[in-house]
Amino acid sequence: MMPSLFDLTVAVPLLLGTFLTFVTSLGLLRFPDVYCRMHAAGKAGTLGVCLIIFAAVIFFAPAGPSVPIRGLLAIVFQFLTTPAATHLLARAAYLAQYPLTDRTEIDELEAYLGAYVRERYGKE
Amino acid sequence: MSPFLTVVCLACLAVLLLSGALTMVRLTIGPQAADRAIALDTITMMFIGVICLLCMLWNSDIYFDAVWILTLVGFLGSAAVARYLERGRLFR
Repeated sequence: MMPSLFDLTVAVPLLLGTFLTFVTSLGLLRFPDVYCRMHAAGKAGTLGVCLIIFAAVIFFAPAGPSVPIRGLLAIVFQFLTTPAATHLLARAAYLAQYPLTDRTEIDELEAYLGAYVRERYGKE
Repeated sequence: MSPFLTVVCLACLAVLLLSGALTMVRLTIGPQAADRAIALDTITMMFIGVICLLCMLWNSDIYFDAVWILTLVGFLGSAAVARYLERGRLFR
């Protein structure tokens, strides 16, 4: 089974995207606190799923424009929504005073949000 | 669909299901609500990938609408959790 050029063009983004998705799940499982986990899910996960959709776009491209249009739309939506959701969640987690891991070197947000958090949400 | 591509698709499907199982572990043990929201978001992404792979395996695009609709609404869950964490309630 010698792969043709078309097969390789579909298979390479597919394998890359699957690898990145697997790395995302490993990061979610292994990282120490919620901010690190958001880092894994927000970057590698987005790129991984976009690469898989891109592979499907290439695969269905010879059959007409219907799937490529929807697939590119899906990639645009993914790049718009996932970082926004991750940003919202990270901000909410910091405001809710979720603990940083004890391996944290520097908390740069403390200078900007620390006083606000203590005044509004009390304690600590 | 060539045999090479079928093998690649099946292997990717297996790896995606394995990643989904690993993420499900985080969804179960995640110490706080934000961890679970992140895990749920990631499971949605993996589900999108699985739908793409099944479309290619079955050589039909009738499920492809689910892909872009899921990318559009998939983030609403974590946005709702974020709002709840920040305000203490969902709606005023």
